[in-house]
Amino acid sequence: MAKHPETDLVPYLRGELPPAERERVARHLDECPDCRQDTDQLRELLGELSRSIAEPPAVNWARYRAELREKLEARRGRRAWWWQPVPLALATSLAGVLLFVAVWGVGRQVPTAGDPVAFEEAAIGRNLGLLEQYQVVERLDLLEEDLDFMSDLDGLAAGRPG
Amino acid sequence: MEPSDEALCQRVAKRDVAAFELLVERYQGRAYRLAWSIVRDPEDARDLSQEAFIRLHESAGSFGGRSKFSTWFYRIVVNLCLDHKRKRRWWKPWAGDAADDQGESFLERQPAPVTDPVDELGREQTMKDLWAAVDRLAPRQRAAVVLQVQEELATYEIAEVLKCSEATVRVHLHRAMNALKKTMKNMEKR
Repeated sequence: MAKHPETDLVPYLRGELPPAERERVARHLDECPDCRQDTDQLRELLGELSRSIAEPPAVNWARYRAELREKLEARRGRRAWWWQPVPLALATSLAGVLLFVAVWGVGRQVPTAGDPVAFEEAAIGRNLGLLEQYQVVERLDLLEEDLDFMSDLDGLAAGRPG
Repeated sequence: MEPSDEALCQRVAKRDVAAFELLVERYQGRAYRLAWSIVRDPEDARDLSQEAFIRLHESAGSFGGRSKFSTWFYRIVVNLCLDHKRKRRWWKPWAGDAADDQGESFLERQPAPVTDPVDELGREQTMKDLWAAVDRLAPRQRAAVVLQVQEELATYEIAEVLKCSEATVRVHLHRAMNALKKTMKNMEKR
Protein backbone atom coordinates (compact mmCIF):
# COMPACT_ATOMS: atom_id res chain seq x y z
CA MET A 1 0.00 0.00 0.00
CA ALA A 2 1.23 3.50 -0.81
CA LYS A 3 2.33 5.92 1.90
CA HIS A 4 -0.57 7.26 3.98
CA PRO A 5 -1.54 10.67 2.57
CA GLU A 6 -1.90 12.19 6.04
CA THR A 7 -1.05 15.78 5.14
CA ASP A 8 -3.28 15.67 2.05
CA LEU A 9 -6.46 14.88 3.96
CA VAL A 10 -7.40 18.46 4.90
CA PRO A 11 -6.96 19.80 1.35
CA TYR A 12 -8.78 16.69 0.10
CA LEU A 13 -11.79 17.37 2.29
CA ARG A 14 -11.81 21.01 1.23
CA GLY A 15 -11.72 20.05 -2.43
CA GLU A 16 -8.42 21.83 -3.04
CA LEU A 17 -6.43 18.99 -4.56
CA PRO A 18 -5.82 18.86 -8.30
CA PRO A 19 -7.68 15.96 -10.02
CA ALA A 20 -4.73 13.55 -10.18
CA GLU A 21 -3.88 14.00 -6.48
CA ARG A 22 -7.51 13.80 -5.51
CA GLU A 23 -7.83 10.54 -7.39
CA ARG A 24 -4.73 9.14 -5.68
CA VAL A 25 -6.05 10.02 -2.20
CA ALA A 26 -9.50 8.64 -2.98
CA ARG A 27 -7.97 5.34 -4.15
CA HIS A 28 -5.92 5.14 -0.98
CA LEU A 29 -8.98 5.77 1.18
CA ASP A 30 -10.80 2.92 -0.56
CA GLU A 31 -8.00 0.57 0.47
CA CYS A 32 -7.01 1.93 3.91
CA PRO A 33 -9.56 1.72 6.75
CA ASP A 34 -7.29 3.68 9.15
CA CYS A 35 -7.05 6.64 6.80
CA ARG A 36 -10.79 6.39 6.14
CA GLN A 37 -11.44 6.64 9.85
CA ASP A 38 -9.01 9.56 10.13
CA THR A 39 -10.80 11.32 7.31
CA ASP A 40 -14.20 10.87 8.96
CA GLN A 41 -12.89 12.27 12.25
CA LEU A 42 -11.27 15.14 10.43
CA ARG A 43 -14.49 15.95 8.59
CA GLU A 44 -16.35 16.01 11.89
CA LEU A 45 -13.69 18.15 13.55
CA LEU A 46 -13.59 20.72 10.73
CA GLY A 47 -17.40 20.88 10.84
CA GLU A 48 -17.38 21.45 14.61
CA LEU A 49 -14.76 24.16 14.32
CA SER A 50 -16.65 25.96 11.54
CA ARG A 51 -19.92 25.83 13.45
CA SER A 52 -18.42 27.15 16.66
CA ILE A 53 -16.30 30.09 15.60
CA ALA A 54 -16.22 32.49 18.51
CA GLU A 55 -16.86 36.17 17.93
CA PRO A 56 -14.54 38.68 19.61
CA PRO A 57 -15.91 41.28 22.02
CA ALA A 58 -17.76 44.08 20.22
CA VAL A 59 -15.88 47.20 19.17
CA ASN A 60 -17.02 50.79 18.76
CA TRP A 61 -15.77 51.24 15.21
CA ALA A 62 -16.05 55.03 15.17
CA ARG A 63 -13.80 55.21 18.20
CA TYR A 64 -11.51 52.58 16.69
CA ARG A 65 -11.01 54.72 13.58
CA ALA A 66 -10.54 57.88 15.65
CA GLU A 67 -7.82 56.12 17.65
CA LEU A 68 -6.23 54.92 14.45
CA ARG A 69 -6.15 58.47 13.07
CA GLU A 70 -4.52 59.71 16.30
CA LYS A 71 -1.90 56.98 16.17
CA LEU A 72 -1.20 57.76 12.54
CA GLU A 73 -0.79 61.47 13.32
CA ALA A 74 1.46 60.70 16.29
CA ARG A 75 3.61 58.46 14.10
CA ARG A 76 3.87 61.16 11.46
CA GLY A 77 4.71 63.78 14.10
CA ARG A 78 7.43 61.64 15.60
CA ARG A 79 9.11 61.34 12.23
CA ALA A 80 8.29 64.77 10.97
CA TRP A 81 11.04 66.95 12.41
CA TRP A 82 13.98 64.97 11.10
CA TRP A 83 12.43 62.83 8.41
CA GLN A 84 11.34 65.74 6.23
CA PRO A 85 13.43 66.17 3.03
CA VAL A 86 15.10 69.48 3.98
CA PRO A 87 16.32 68.52 7.49
CA LEU A 88 17.35 65.16 6.13
CA ALA A 89 19.40 66.81 3.36
CA LEU A 90 20.96 69.23 5.86
CA ALA A 91 21.85 66.42 8.22
CA THR A 92 23.40 64.44 5.37
CA SER A 93 25.42 67.47 4.23
CA LEU A 94 26.64 68.16 7.77
CA ALA A 95 27.68 64.54 8.18
CA GLY A 96 29.55 64.77 4.86
CA VAL A 97 31.38 67.93 5.93
CA LEU A 98 32.34 66.41 9.29
CA LEU A 99 33.64 63.30 7.55
CA PHE A 100 35.68 65.40 5.10
CA VAL A 101 37.18 67.49 7.91
CA ALA A 102 38.02 64.37 9.90
CA VAL A 103 39.74 62.66 6.96
CA TRP A 104 41.54 65.87 5.86
CA GLY A 105 42.64 66.66 9.42
CA VAL A 106 44.11 63.20 9.94
CA GLY A 107 45.88 63.16 6.57
CA ARG A 108 47.34 66.63 6.91
CA GLN A 109 49.90 66.76 9.75
CA VAL A 110 51.21 70.22 10.60
CA PRO A 111 55.06 70.08 10.58
CA THR A 112 56.93 71.33 13.60
CA ALA A 113 59.68 73.93 13.52
CA GLY A 114 62.20 71.30 14.64
CA ASP A 115 61.81 69.34 11.39
CA PRO A 116 63.08 71.65 8.58
CA VAL A 117 62.70 69.10 5.77
CA ALA A 118 59.08 68.45 6.62
CA PHE A 119 58.51 72.17 6.99
CA GLU A 120 59.97 72.81 3.55
CA GLU A 121 57.92 69.99 2.00
CA ALA A 122 54.84 71.49 3.57
CA ALA A 123 55.71 74.88 2.08
CA ILE A 124 56.20 73.32 -1.36
CA GLY A 125 52.96 71.42 -0.90
CA ARG A 126 51.12 74.67 -0.28
CA ASN A 127 52.44 76.06 -3.57
CA LEU A 128 51.83 73.02 -5.71
CA GLY A 129 49.89 75.28 -8.01
CA LEU A 130 53.22 76.48 -9.40
CA LEU A 131 53.76 73.07 -10.96
CA GLU A 132 50.88 73.85 -13.26
CA GLN A 133 53.19 76.57 -14.66
CA TYR A 134 56.09 74.12 -14.84
CA GLN A 135 57.46 75.49 -18.13
CA VAL A 136 57.82 78.95 -16.57
CA VAL A 137 59.60 77.46 -13.55
CA GLU A 138 61.93 75.55 -15.86
CA ARG A 139 62.77 78.74 -17.75
CA LEU A 140 63.47 80.52 -14.46
CA ASP A 141 66.01 77.78 -13.61
CA LEU A 142 67.67 78.22 -17.01
CA LEU A 143 67.78 81.97 -16.48
CA GLU A 144 69.42 81.40 -13.08
CA GLU A 145 72.07 79.18 -14.73
CA ASP A 146 72.65 81.81 -17.45
CA LEU A 147 73.12 84.47 -14.80
CA ASP A 148 75.68 82.28 -12.98
CA PHE A 149 77.52 81.67 -16.28
CA MET A 150 77.62 85.38 -17.10
CA SER A 151 78.83 86.15 -13.58
CA ASP A 152 81.67 83.64 -14.09
CA LEU A 153 82.60 85.27 -17.43
CA ASP A 154 82.60 88.70 -15.76
CA GLY A 155 84.92 87.30 -13.09
CA LEU A 156 87.34 85.88 -15.68
CA ALA A 157 87.34 89.19 -17.54
CA ALA A 158 88.21 90.98 -14.30
CA GLY A 159 91.05 88.49 -13.60
CA ARG A 160 89.16 86.70 -10.78
CA PRO A 161 89.24 82.87 -10.55
CA GLY A 162 85.94 81.14 -11.50
CA MET B 1 -18.92 50.51 -9.27
CA GLU B 2 -17.01 50.06 -6.02
CA PRO B 3 -13.25 50.33 -6.44
CA SER B 4 -11.35 47.10 -5.83
CA ASP B 5 -9.13 46.68 -2.75
CA GLU B 6 -6.11 46.59 -5.01
CA ALA B 7 -7.05 49.89 -6.68
CA LEU B 8 -7.63 51.49 -3.28
CA CYS B 9 -4.26 50.28 -2.07
CA GLN B 10 -2.58 51.91 -5.07
CA ARG B 11 -4.35 55.14 -4.21
CA VAL B 12 -3.21 54.84 -0.57
CA ALA B 13 0.36 54.62 -1.89
CA LYS B 14 -0.24 58.06 -3.43
CA ARG B 15 -1.42 59.35 -0.04
CA ASP B 16 -5.14 59.32 -0.88
CA VAL B 17 -6.79 59.73 2.53
CA ALA B 18 -10.27 58.76 1.32
CA ALA B 19 -8.97 55.50 -0.14
CA PHE B 20 -7.27 54.68 3.15
CA GLU B 21 -10.45 55.39 5.12
CA LEU B 22 -12.42 53.15 2.78
CA LEU B 23 -9.94 50.28 3.14
CA VAL B 24 -10.04 50.65 6.92
CA GLU B 25 -13.83 50.44 6.89
CA ARG B 26 -13.73 47.37 4.67
CA TYR B 27 -11.11 45.51 6.68
CA GLN B 28 -11.44 46.75 10.26
CA GLY B 29 -13.75 43.90 11.31
CA ARG B 30 -11.71 41.18 9.64
CA ALA B 31 -8.38 42.57 10.90
CA TYR B 32 -9.63 42.85 14.47
CA ARG B 33 -11.27 39.41 14.43
CA LEU B 34 -8.18 37.76 12.93
CA ALA B 35 -5.90 39.44 15.48
CA TRP B 36 -8.22 38.48 18.31
CA SER B 37 -8.36 34.86 17.11
CA ILE B 38 -4.59 34.66 17.39
CA VAL B 39 -3.86 36.72 20.53
CA ARG B 40 -7.24 36.26 22.31
CA ASP B 41 -7.07 39.62 24.02
CA PRO B 42 -9.44 42.37 22.84
CA GLU B 43 -7.11 45.28 23.73
CA ASP B 44 -4.11 43.67 22.09
CA ALA B 45 -6.22 42.72 19.07
CA ARG B 46 -7.34 46.32 18.73
CA ASP B 47 -3.80 47.70 18.99
CA LEU B 48 -2.36 45.11 16.63
CA SER B 49 -5.03 45.54 13.98
CA GLN B 50 -4.61 49.34 14.16
CA GLU B 51 -0.86 48.89 13.84
CA ALA B 52 -1.52 46.75 10.76
CA PHE B 53 -3.44 49.65 9.20
CA ILE B 54 -0.58 52.03 10.03
CA ARG B 55 1.84 49.62 8.32
CA LEU B 56 -0.54 49.47 5.38
CA HIS B 57 -0.52 53.26 5.21
CA GLU B 58 3.27 53.39 5.32
CA SER B 59 4.01 50.57 2.92
CA ALA B 60 1.10 50.55 0.47
CA GLY B 61 3.64 51.29 -2.26
CA SER B 62 5.30 47.94 -1.70
CA PHE B 63 2.12 46.03 -2.56
CA GLY B 64 3.13 44.58 -5.88
CA GLY B 65 -0.27 43.22 -6.87
CA ARG B 66 1.06 39.70 -7.37
CA SER B 67 -1.30 38.40 -4.69
CA LYS B 68 -4.72 39.59 -3.61
CA PHE B 69 -4.76 42.64 -1.37
CA SER B 70 -6.51 40.65 1.36
CA THR B 71 -3.74 38.04 1.41
CA TRP B 72 -1.07 40.75 1.55
CA PHE B 73 -2.87 42.57 4.35
CA TYR B 74 -3.57 39.38 6.32
CA ARG B 75 0.16 38.73 6.21
CA ILE B 76 0.79 42.06 7.93
CA VAL B 77 -1.80 41.27 10.61
CA VAL B 78 -0.60 37.71 11.22
CA ASN B 79 3.07 38.73 11.36
CA LEU B 80 2.31 41.42 13.91
CA CYS B 81 0.33 38.93 16.02
CA LEU B 82 3.02 36.25 15.85
CA ASP B 83 5.69 38.83 16.78
CA HIS B 84 3.51 39.95 19.66
CA LYS B 85 3.15 36.37 20.89
CA ARG B 86 6.91 35.87 20.65
CA LYS B 87 7.63 39.01 22.66
CA ARG B 88 5.10 38.09 25.30
CA ARG B 89 6.59 34.64 25.58
CA TRP B 90 10.02 36.21 26.07
CA TRP B 91 9.06 38.30 29.05
CA LYS B 92 6.22 36.20 30.43
CA PRO B 93 7.63 32.71 30.46
CA TRP B 94 5.42 31.76 33.36
CA ALA B 95 2.18 32.63 31.55
CA GLY B 96 0.04 30.11 29.70
CA ASP B 97 1.60 31.13 26.40
CA ALA B 98 4.83 29.47 27.43
CA ALA B 99 3.29 26.26 26.19
CA ASP B 100 2.56 27.68 22.76
CA ASP B 101 5.17 25.73 20.94
CA GLN B 102 4.74 22.52 22.85
CA GLY B 103 1.67 21.64 20.79
CA GLU B 104 0.32 18.17 21.36
CA SER B 105 2.23 17.29 24.49
CA PHE B 106 0.75 20.32 26.22
CA LEU B 107 -2.74 19.44 25.07
CA GLU B 108 -2.35 15.96 26.42
CA ARG B 109 -1.60 17.37 29.84
CA GLN B 110 -4.84 19.33 29.99
CA PRO B 111 -7.25 18.26 32.74
CA ALA B 112 -10.50 16.66 31.58
CA PRO B 113 -13.34 19.19 31.34
CA VAL B 114 -15.99 18.78 33.99
CA THR B 115 -19.19 19.40 31.98
CA ASP B 116 -21.40 16.82 30.32
CA PRO B 117 -21.10 17.02 26.52
CA VAL B 118 -24.50 15.44 26.01
CA ASP B 119 -26.72 18.37 26.87
CA GLU B 120 -26.72 21.66 25.01
CA LEU B 121 -24.87 23.53 27.70
CA GLY B 122 -22.28 20.82 27.74
CA ARG B 123 -22.02 20.99 24.00
CA GLU B 124 -21.40 24.69 24.15
CA GLN B 125 -18.69 24.07 26.69
CA THR B 126 -17.20 21.38 24.48
CA MET B 127 -16.93 23.84 21.62
CA LYS B 128 -15.36 26.38 23.95
CA ASP B 129 -12.86 23.77 25.05
CA LEU B 130 -12.14 22.92 21.44
CA TRP B 131 -11.31 26.53 20.61
CA ALA B 132 -9.36 26.80 23.85
CA ALA B 133 -7.33 23.90 22.51
CA VAL B 134 -6.83 25.85 19.27
CA ASP B 135 -5.50 28.71 21.40
CA ARG B 136 -2.92 26.39 22.89
CA LEU B 137 -1.56 25.26 19.55
CA ALA B 138 1.84 26.49 18.39
CA PRO B 139 1.38 30.03 16.98
CA ARG B 140 1.84 29.13 13.32
CA GLN B 141 -0.42 26.08 13.60
CA ARG B 142 -3.05 28.24 15.27
CA ALA B 143 -2.71 30.89 12.58
CA ALA B 144 -3.13 28.22 9.88
CA VAL B 145 -6.28 26.83 11.55
CA VAL B 146 -7.79 30.30 12.05
CA LEU B 147 -7.04 31.35 8.48
CA GLN B 148 -8.59 28.17 7.15
CA VAL B 149 -11.61 27.68 9.37
CA GLN B 150 -12.51 31.29 10.15
CA GLU B 151 -11.24 33.25 7.16
CA GLU B 152 -11.83 30.33 4.76
CA LEU B 153 -8.53 30.83 2.97
CA ALA B 154 -7.28 28.12 0.64
CA THR B 155 -4.03 26.34 1.48
CA TYR B 156 -2.05 28.29 -1.14
CA GLU B 157 -3.37 31.57 0.31
CA ILE B 158 -2.42 30.51 3.84
CA ALA B 159 1.05 29.72 2.47
CA GLU B 160 1.27 33.27 1.08
CA VAL B 161 0.16 34.78 4.38
CA LEU B 162 2.57 32.70 6.45
CA LYS B 163 5.30 33.04 3.81
CA CYS B 164 5.98 29.34 3.60
CA SER B 165 5.33 26.51 1.16
CA GLU B 166 1.95 24.82 0.70
CA ALA B 167 3.55 21.60 1.93
CA THR B 168 4.49 23.33 5.19
CA VAL B 169 0.93 24.59 5.62
CA ARG B 170 -0.37 21.06 5.11
CA VAL B 171 1.99 19.83 7.82
CA HIS B 172 0.90 22.62 10.18
CA LEU B 173 -2.74 21.76 9.59
CA HIS B 174 -2.15 18.02 9.93
CA ARG B 175 -0.38 18.46 13.27
CA ALA B 176 -2.97 20.91 14.51
CA MET B 177 -5.83 18.58 13.58
CA ASN B 178 -4.14 15.63 15.27
CA ALA B 179 -3.78 17.66 18.47
CA LEU B 180 -7.42 18.77 18.29
CA LYS B 181 -8.65 15.23 17.60
CA LYS B 182 -6.91 14.08 20.77
CA THR B 183 -8.60 16.88 22.68
CA MET B 184 -11.97 15.80 21.31
CA LYS B 185 -11.32 12.20 22.26
CA ASN B 186 -10.42 13.26 25.79
CA MET B 187 -13.64 15.24 26.01
CA GLU B 188 -15.69 12.28 24.80
CA LYS B 189 -14.12 9.98 27.40
CA ARG B 190 -15.26 11.97 30.40
